[in-house]
Amino acid sequence: MKTTIAALLLGVALPAQTVDFGKAYSFAERAPRTQTERAIDALLPSIVKIHGASGLQTISAFASGVLVTAQGHVLTIDQIMLQPGRTRVVLYDGSVHEAQLLPPDDRLGVRLLKIDPKLVTAELRPLWPAAPTPFRTGQFVVSLGNCFRLAEFSEKVSATFGVVVGRADTALRYRMTNVAYDGDVILTDACNNPGHQGGGLFALDGRWLGLNMKLLESKETNTMLSAAIPVADLLPYLDEQVHGKPRPSPVAKTEPAWFGVQLFEQAGRQSPPAYVERVVAGSPAATLGLRNDDLIVRFDEFSIRTCREYRDVLARFRPGQRIKVMWKRGTEVMNGEVDLVAEPRR
Amino acid sequence: MIAARPLSIAALVAMAAAARAQGAATADEFVRLEPVLQAAIARAAPFVVTIETFGGTRRVEGKEGPMDGEGPPMPRPKPPEKEPPPEPEEDSRKPKKPLVAGGFQQAQGRTTGVVLTADGWVLVSRFALALDPTTVLVTVPDRGTFHGTRAGEDTSRGIALVKIAARDLPVPKFVHPNDVAVGQWAFALGRTFASDGPTVHLGVVSAKHRLHGRALQVDAYTSPANYGGPVVDLDGHVIGIAVPLSPSGRNAGVEWYDSGIGFATTIADIGPLLARMQEGQVLQRGWLGVQLSSEWLGPGAKISGTPKDGPAAQAGLRKGDIVEKIDTVEVQNGPHFQVLIGSRLGGDQVTVTVRRKDGDIEVVGPLTLADAPWSEQQQQRGAELPATFPVPEQPERR
Repeated sequence: MKTTIAALLLGVALPAQTVDFGKAYSFAERAPRTQTERAIDALLPSIVKIHGASGLQTISAFASGVLVTAQGHVLTIDQIMLQPGRTRVVLYDGSVHEAQLLPPDDRLGVRLLKIDPKLVTAELRPLWPAAPTPFRTGQFVVSLGNCFRLAEFSEKVSATFGVVVGRADTALRYRMTNVAYDGDVILTDACNNPGHQGGGLFALDGRWLGLNMKLLESKETNTMLSAAIPVADLLPYLDEQVHGKPRPSPVAKTEPAWFGVQLFEQAGRQSPPAYVERVVAGSPAATLGLRNDDLIVRFDEFSIRTCREYRDVLARFRPGQRIKVMWKRGTEVMNGEVDLVAEPRR
Repeated sequence: MIAARPLSIAALVAMAAAARAQGAATADEFVRLEPVLQAAIARAAPFVVTIETFGGTRRVEGKEGPMDGEGPPMPRPKPPEKEPPPEPEEDSRKPKKPLVAGGFQQAQGRTTGVVLTADGWVLVSRFALALDPTTVLVTVPDRGTFHGTRAGEDTSRGIALVKIAARDLPVPKFVHPNDVAVGQWAFALGRTFASDGPTVHLGVVSAKHRLHGRALQVDAYTSPANYGGPVVDLDGHVIGIAVPLSPSGRNAGVEWYDSGIGFATTIADIGPLLARMQEGQVLQRGWLGVQLSSEWLGPGAKISGTPKDGPAAQAGLRKGDIVEKIDTVEVQNGPHFQVLIGSRLGGDQVTVTVRRKDGDIEVVGPLTLADAPWSEQQQQRGAELPATFPVPEQPERR
């Protein structure tokens, strides 16, 4: 949404006021009256603007961030051009500061920046994610961020309004491009335009729900969706970087899982549906009773529409994992569960 | 794209800001709306189903796919030796170029449907079947996944019927368009990306009686993800089915997506069509076969031409005739005539009352409307798709 609450409020206040280009723009703004206005008013000092090195084609050079500690930690999305010595944080009061880059979390696609703790004045309100905040489809939300770098100097970032569209898990959105993050995300129709990413998604009472992601692009429908990473998923990274709490290392790669079918497929053509051409005796597929000509349609919640997707999805599993398999024989839809194994050596 | 979308909520927030001056509604109203909205979603959730399709392509090669439910393709299709020669131009009405540009493939993904009857008839958007899939699977929440058998379609409303072998399905309550008002809430539900229930997009009813009375216009976000899904009111009752339609009657797609313009087929007129669609009939927009004079402002509609093969010409309507009535309705002018005919389907019967050049009043008919020529083209595989969301073609990897 382009029209913003903040802009509306400014728009109303602007004509009657004199503009003071001293320390900051100075508008005598009326006090917030509603819960939503109060929430936004209280949250804005926590949101910063981030300017990186000059952008490259699809990678923008600007984003938003959330000031998370009084020690000067700023959380943002790691999908913009951030370079040591060239990363600037613009605080609520319009002051511009150089930020130090802390190690990113590549899985989440987020990164902490750090500014001098002395800069974190009482006016700024560091926002540490509280206990996991539940969210529901149909819940109204406000998203704060500097979309299209509209806010300059001490101008406030934009507030966009919308609703939680749903929760998308990996299985349902694995065909979406350009996202490193693999967990559940909050889908919303409060717009995440470029620059908005790294800002926060909040409930109308001000509770922090998520960190705005880059727009999700659906490969299969060529449509885009705004989304945010739930704050609960950010905590382990924050705790590690800020409090030095170690976290479990990601599972080491093992050998690929094997299901034991050969699919009916031709090279060079658009990948056809995953029809079984041959079932290897003694394989998990044979255990399930799969037959020649069955159509494999789902592994767990991952729908498999083509042979290519069959391989992509299977690669997500490890030997020993139990999976639910759905397949179609004629007009009958069949289900079963089986343990995947490693491919037997010949 | 999203930035360009004038969203209803934006308007509402603006309205709320304006109203605040008078001490009226504030954004906090939304907080009170939240439980109502969530109750509506919960009520609608059971009948919103996921549609998945397998196989089927934009048939550049014109190859037949396997029959529905009959198993894999047999025998194995051979790759073409060379590009097939371009088809000769048999019909001047045929589109001159493919509607999906070369190097792109039609987007395909999960989409949404609505349970229509307890005994297994499911309404889907024609978008779901755009690629002529060999297999359609319908997943009903808490009931499992079923093989869907394709039945008839209404190309003029962008809907299609699928039958699944299930009983005692939860069915929605449908709202008659007469009971829908512009400005009322309209929530577009889908079941594609979200794992914890239907997705929801908010909006209001923007207009009624769009596209010659076939659709409501809503500003809730409609896209391939929720085409075929219900547009519900605050009670979770269905006021329409989100479909990709456009005034041209041709493909709506990327150019309409995200524009704040969405169409929802109203349900009131599906009832009478249901039996025909259950039989597998493909219903087309009706065609009378007259051209109207744009200079004649009424009363009535003046015929300026009747194509030879049209029902009008065959029934004896002629250039210069003034259409005074369609059935019992007096025709005010040309646009009114189009509204009256535009909502009919091929096979429908109409009686036309005309005033001849010599002043004689003549009742012609009942005559039977033909299928509109462009909708016949829609039927041709690969010629015209109900919606285009081209995605860049990706090279196959093994």
